[in-house]
Amino acid sequence: MEIQIRTIDETKKEYIEIGCHKTDEKVQEIVRFIKSRQGCFEVNRDEKQYQIPIVDIYYIESVDERTFLYLKDDCYESRKRLYEFEEVLSGRQFIRISKSVIVNMMKISAIKPAMNGRFFCQLENGEKVIVSRKYVPDLKEKLKTN
Amino acid sequence: MKEHIKETFGTFFIITTLICIAMYILGSVFKPEQRFGYEVFLYPVIYGAVASVPGLIMYTKNEMSIAQVIIRKILQLLMLIAVVMMMVFGGSSLSHDQLITAIGVAASVVVIFIAVHIIQWMLDSKTALKMTEDLEKWKKAYNN
Repeated sequence: MEIQIRTIDETKKEYIEIGCHKTDEKVQEIVRFIKSRQGCFEVNRDEKQYQIPIVDIYYIESVDERTFLYLKDDCYESRKRLYEFEEVLSGRQFIRISKSVIVNMMKISAIKPAMNGRFFCQLENGEKVIVSRKYVPDLKEKLKTN
Repeated sequence: MKEHIKETFGTFFIITTLICIAMYILGSVFKPEQRFGYEVFLYPVIYGAVASVPGLIMYTKNEMSIAQVIIRKILQLLMLIAVVMMMVFGGSSLSHDQLITAIGVAASVVVIFIAVHIIQWMLDSKTALKMTEDLEKWKKAYNN
């Protein structure tokens, strides 16, 4: 496989492009490696341990003192508490939107009104997560940054 | 609680405005010959303030489901009708004429309640649209 590295202008967004005949296991492995370079979390499912890339997380939810990480179609559990994730992910594309949920802003496709002064985030996989009214000002503030 | 008080305050102004409109319509229909003094300007404010109190039933520290919100909203409406009836008729038994007026008042409470929620929904929709636009800009900036 030929490897090409091209220097681009600093004003342009950096990217990695893979030219392949089909997306097989080898290509998936390369993709997993690239994603892992952007950070990973150690999680569990069915008593097995996995490493999941931070960029693939849609939202993190705390339910009855257990913490779950939701990806596009999968769900994993972590021993970490929600506040620990909040600390680790501060300054990245994640934001706390309720007492029990941290959402990946890059995975939100739209924000819509819910009842009682709340809003909900429509995610790219079709799921909806509620933004409680207490966290609405924080979300507005974060959207003003950058 | 702070956010809830802020929202109750906003609701108070919407209710007060709508009560002024309801008083004008109901007055024109039931007692067009009635004349008032300056104290009448205070009634919408007092009714608005009292009508905002049942809104506190919506306060909870836990996140409510949609079903819980709807149930509490229905309770809020029933409490609101009871409070307004107490204020207007003082809890005494109603004559036939008063009964018709009471039905008109109850109907206007329901109409105002629905109108308040429609106005709030429209305001929230506008805010949500703005946030979605800001989100798109934020995503572009974050990627760069």
